[in-house]
Amino acid sequence: MTVLILTSEQDVTADMAVVELNAEGIPVVRLDPAELPGGVDVSGEWAHGAFHGHLSAGGRVVSMSGLRSIWVRRPGRPSARAQAASPWLTEESTQALYGMLRCTDARWMNHPDAARQARYKPWQLWLARACGLPVPATLITTFPRAAREFADRYPDLVVKPVSGAHPGDGTLAVPTTRVRPGEDFRDVAHGPTLLQRRIRKAADIRLTCVGDQLFAARAAHPADGPHASDVVDVRFADAVGPWTPVPVPRRTADAVHAYLTRAQLAYGAFDFVEDVDGIWWFLECNQAGQFGFVEIETGQRIGRAVARWLAGEWSGANPPEEDRNTS
Amino acid sequence: MRPFALNYARPTQDVEVSTPYTYDSALQLNVLPDGGVAALDYAVLREFGATTSTAGSKTHFDD
Repeated sequence: MTVLILTSEQDVTADMAVVELNAEGIPVVRLDPAELPGGVDVSGEWAHGAFHGHLSAGGRVVSMSGLRSIWVRRPGRPSARAQAASPWLTEESTQALYGMLRCTDARWMNHPDAARQARYKPWQLWLARACGLPVPATLITTFPRAAREFADRYPDLVVKPVSGAHPGDGTLAVPTTRVRPGEDFRDVAHGPTLLQRRIRKAADIRLTCVGDQLFAARAAHPADGPHASDVVDVRFADAVGPWTPVPVPRRTADAVHAYLTRAQLAYGAFDFVEDVDGIWWFLECNQAGQFGFVEIETGQRIGRAVARWLAGEWSGANPPEEDRNTS
Repeated sequence: MRPFALNYARPTQDVEVSTPYTYDSALQLNVLPDGGVAALDYAVLREFGATTSTAGSKTHFDD
């Protein structure tokens, strides 16, 4: 039985799991849907009451009935690099590839339906709260008056994109940034705006979840000073870290497990802010978040955990005790 | 008519970095010029930031 990995060739984070799968002798087929057709080919037949599908990539051919799991890591847009690339061909290839893969019994990390749902930040905030995670007061609005009233109640705010996407052609980014004093918020009328109470940060926490396994890493944050940057987004900080492994508070672990169960996610990378009282405040859950930088800095074997989940070595219910990183 | 959040936009500092490894379709792994597996060379990965939380963020926003 084969593990199918959908990702780009340049994805060295995926390599970390491939190395582990190779070491265990688990067959792997890795492909980028952007190469369909040509570099990747697909065929499926529905006849005599049965479905038979095949995939081909890099000289490897695999029967879809022989897939044990599918890891949707960093796949390109289907047919993006095809000779006859077009939006229509992308839609055709998306239907063919992902439609057939949905006909298999393979386990998904993560299923496309769950992944799509999990990307909605308003839903993330709702679910996190429902699962018992502390969530900073947040407003998403196109009403300038609502924004002003929110700012009156919470004078120290940050702004960030609702979607997390970069605007335009990728040359601009909107990092999580403190709202300037005296803002009049008129421009809120021109697009949904996410405002959130700023948490006085003691540290950033990245909590990577693979099945039932939790890997928490902490990067201390320098104390706020008169020259502190208004950009509070760890991804855009000049110097972050070092990241060090930390245990997960039991209540947080329980809440995160509940979140993943309700979201039907096998993998999630949670971002928290740890405040000066040690409370972990939920910011977001990235259903395909990077883990390589955490593994490199902390030594936590996340790639191995991913590989073992994909291999089906564990049901997810009973990982070995040494990999349960909770307190 | 500028959305509020764009008042806080800034240019990305992403530059195309030429990595010292290339994809080997036979191994299904990225390999270094000496044939070593890139994923096992943490010094290289650190230097090129290929596994950080902003890697690939132009196409994948949830990282």
